[in-house]
Amino acid sequence: MENDDSDMNTALMVDGNAVAGQLEQIFGRDMTMTVTRCAGCSRDAEMGALMAFIRGPGVVLRCPACQNAIARIVETPTAIYLEARGAAYLRMAPRP
Amino acid sequence: MVQPVLEWQAGTVTAIRPETQQTKSFTLALPKWMVHRPGQHYDVRLSAPDGYQTERSYSIASPPERVGELELTVERIPDGEVSPYLHDVLVPGDQLEVRGPIGGYFVWDVSLGGPLLLIAGGSGVVPLMAMLRHRAAQHSTVPARILYSSRTGGDVIYREELDGLAAGDRAFEAFYTFTRQPPAGWTGYRRRIDAGMLAEVIKPFGQRARVYVCGPTLLVEAVANALVEMELPTAQIRTERFGPTGA
Repeated sequence: MENDDSDMNTALMVDGNAVAGQLEQIFGRDMTMTVTRCAGCSRDAEMGALMAFIRGPGVVLRCPACQNAIARIVETPTAIYLEARGAAYLRMAPRP
Repeated sequence: MVQPVLEWQAGTVTAIRPETQQTKSFTLALPKWMVHRPGQHYDVRLSAPDGYQTERSYSIASPPERVGELELTVERIPDGEVSPYLHDVLVPGDQLEVRGPIGGYFVWDVSLGGPLLLIAGGSGVVPLMAMLRHRAAQHSTVPARILYSSRTGGDVIYREELDGLAAGDRAFEAFYTFTRQPPAGWTGYRRRIDAGMLAEVIKPFGQRARVYVCGPTLLVEAVANALVEMELPTAQIRTERFGPTGA
């Protein structure tokens, strides 16, 4: 992670906020203020503040502290895959 | 309050206004308009006859006080999939598929208070403009400043409006910096935003500043790191990175 590829990766990175629409479609509510605890380093971050890589065939959300992959999302014509083993948990407010 | 399901709807383009060489503002009338929070965005989806679909997120430029319609200011990315269509093909009367408003992280409204420091690179000014338009519509006296980095004088979006707001409001000031070609006679900043510039602009607000940073990823990274080094509490810093393009 110390060459031009990493610079390009950094330049292409956006925030979890950029996939807020996709997350809201999956979860049925705004998720950007939902807190994720990183399973790698135990830091808490709002989903809107995660590092998001969206230029691939799927979406990868990474921890802003340790860059651990918190979640990956892939949509196919028939299914949505959400792999989130990098999250220890999500914490969200109950529905009003 | 039950949150409505986020769904796609067809907006009608009612006006298209050029802002700069590379940016245009698109006004959409929405059948299911919903009040938004300044800083939120809409997703725009294009569908090809063969079924291929692609979507992008665009920040809302208009304040929530503008009921029934929505303004998106979009920069034309030459090799983009969506923005060249919006710029080169779309005309008033056309329909555009959108869903929103989206996002609860990068938002500010007058109830959150200030002092408010907004930092923009290129078209990153768009969601910040929604905040300023909302602040003005509410006659808010929350102290606010914007520091706005552009490549050249011709690249500044909303320049007249920002200067007009600043002229009529003692609690709001606009600062500009130019990274390539400043306008003729320019005596202000002419470099990338750096720690020294941030320290000058944030000074009257000190550690109480609520800061919103939006722009190209590398600019946002640099600004956020500088703010953390100035020991501004991270809970007061909100960032929105939009990738590799812009000033």
